[in-house]
Amino acid sequence: MYTIELEKVRKSYDHFVAVDDLSFKIEQGSVFGLLGPNGAGKTSTIRMMIGITAPDSGTVRVFGRPFDRKCLEKVGYLPEERGLYRRMKMLDQLIFLAELHNMEAVAARQKAIEWCERLEISEKLGSKVEELSKGMQQKIQFIAALLHDPDFIIMDEPFAGLDPVNVNLLKDVLLEMKKKGKTILFSTHRMDQVEKLCDSICLINRGKAVIQGDLKRVKAQYGKNNVQIGYEGNGDFLQRNTLVSSFNDYGNYVEVRLAPGADPQQLLRMVADHSRVNRFELMEPSLEEIFIEMVGKTHA
Amino acid sequence: MHNIMLIARREYLERVRTKSFIVMTLLIPAFMFGVTVLPTLIMSKGAGGTKHLVVVAPDMSTAEMIRQQLYKSPEEQKKATRHVQGMQTHSRLENLTVDVDTDTSETARAALTEKVKQKQLDGVIFVTREGLAAKKIAFITKDVSNLTANDEIERAINRALRRQLLESKGLTPADIENALQTVEMDAQNPTGNGNPITVFLSVISMVMILYVTVLLYGINVMRAILEEKTSRVMEVMLSIASAKEMMAGKILGVGAVGLTQISIWVLMALVASSPGLIAGAEMLKGIISAKLLVSFGVFFLLGYALYSTLCAAIGAMVNSEQESQQLQIVVMLPMIISVIIMTNVIENPGSAIAVVASLFPLTAPLIMFLRIALQSPPLWQIGISIALIIATTYGLVWLCSRIYRVGILMYGKKPTLPELMKWIRYA
Repeated sequence: MYTIELEKVRKSYDHFVAVDDLSFKIEQGSVFGLLGPNGAGKTSTIRMMIGITAPDSGTVRVFGRPFDRKCLEKVGYLPEERGLYRRMKMLDQLIFLAELHNMEAVAARQKAIEWCERLEISEKLGSKVEELSKGMQQKIQFIAALLHDPDFIIMDEPFAGLDPVNVNLLKDVLLEMKKKGKTILFSTHRMDQVEKLCDSICLINRGKAVIQGDLKRVKAQYGKNNVQIGYEGNGDFLQRNTLVSSFNDYGNYVEVRLAPGADPQQLLRMVADHSRVNRFELMEPSLEEIFIEMVGKTHA
Repeated sequence: MHNIMLIARREYLERVRTKSFIVMTLLIPAFMFGVTVLPTLIMSKGAGGTKHLVVVAPDMSTAEMIRQQLYKSPEEQKKATRHVQGMQTHSRLENLTVDVDTDTSETARAALTEKVKQKQLDGVIFVTREGLAAKKIAFITKDVSNLTANDEIERAINRALRRQLLESKGLTPADIENALQTVEMDAQNPTGNGNPITVFLSVISMVMILYVTVLLYGINVMRAILEEKTSRVMEVMLSIASAKEMMAGKILGVGAVGLTQISIWVLMALVASSPGLIAGAEMLKGIISAKLLVSFGVFFLLGYALYSTLCAAIGAMVNSEQESQQLQIVVMLPMIISVIIMTNVIENPGSAIAVVASLFPLTAPLIMFLRIALQSPPLWQIGISIALIIATTYGLVWLCSRIYRVGILMYGKKPTLPELMKWIRYA
């Protein structure tokens, strides 16, 4: 059973193609990462899933049926562009949004208070939104997306602008949702977060899918031909090296992608010759590495 | 429908609860009271003080005659304004003291002028023989710009001189009275709808009510839509409600706020003027019929809905209040045109231009109502007019929901007309 099925979905504005024949499926109960650089078409894709815009061609199926507005009651959406009614009291706002999702006002109030306690903002229940800090507004919006107990949760850059403590708080909530069998779509360009949370991903660039599938399988595809090297000394020798196809300097360490057929032992010896090695680890490429490589390739 | 009602309810409650709504609701009647009742109070107080005038004429009888007519002025004033309803002009010449003199020499004039300067006198009417021949009389006063008072004095002098002339021709006082009596004209509409002037006045006031309401509250609808965009809450809203539901809910909710405020004002006005109201109801009977009231209700609501929707469309198109200002003319123009056409329609309610304007949706609310007040236009025309307004309103809701929805994709930049056309076509 799939929560979302996109089939050759296409959306263009004027001469600009935002989403180009994109197809993917999101399995029920999974956490799906929709990744891509800024302007790749992530938000456009999400908007088509929930009927804000309709695709020019292709089909969108939600909860196993062709899209209809009724299904929106079971969808929770945290848009990247946060926005709430500024002059409205926080609790009223949450109740209003829940009522739009066909929830009873009394039940909504109860739930909203519970959520605010859980996210440690209950002391601000009676405040107007404009009086709250940005982080708090974001938490309210997060609650608004979950209050009506949706089966499908869309989180567009949910952690942007939050401190690590709050990121953890929200992450725990999301993992709990996953355990309850909810489907979560995660849209972001922060690869480190995706790596921790997602079961499967779709990396899009310029409206097209670049890589997609099960996260582990995607990484396995790239094989264990990445090396992380921690060293002291001059690393210039890594450039213009026949053993290295690309490398990425992270400051404290370097991540190197080996050239096809290159022997990692040979590289280790070379590094040892040129500097003091603290660490030399053969590993799967990080998602970021894949991302940069794939996006870089299409940009070139 | 569920969503429309929820959105409308939120919009309504959030607005009615604000301080500015409550303050406005109370302040406007206070202000109206200030500008209407206070000046009359002050005026009647001002009339309370005695005015001291001196009439100088070459002979005693002329001077006496003018004095007499000045004393009679308040009475005449009442007579002159009796058939214009609701216009009780207060005489500026109650409580007068008038002295007479026959010394028309320059030295006497200079002495009296000096007295006016010293404020010992309020005014001097200086009549010389030459002046009488040339029909020119000097009125020396510090208060030259007090037009109403001066007008009354002028009329009193005219009456006096006419009387004197007639008397000199040997007419009896009864004949003179008869000759100077003015005729009261009773203008009648062939359909028996009462005095056209009062119909006209009542229609104009209803037109003004509609005009002001749209100006006041239509802009609020526009702001409400803009708020949705500037606060970026629209994306969340659109993830559960359709753009059309949003638009309809907003227009209904904000519109209801306007109606609430007006109802409160009307109620306050009714309570405040309840003694006058009984007299007023008597006066308006036969002029404002049930038919007129019902058609006012219908066309007011239709017009309000149509223009609010037009404002909503502007709100959907622009990104900031400044930008909207240039487009507000789109709302104003049809109303201004309606008011311009109005005079034409009043003269000839059955003319081609009147019929066309009463069917064209943007002018129909005012013009069709005007025609109903003046004559009985064919029912089918009224029907078509109403149907067209409703259809246009619905069409506009559809149109601006399209613009609004696509507007979230492109912000920060004012759309050009071709872009807007494209937005409407987007799926």
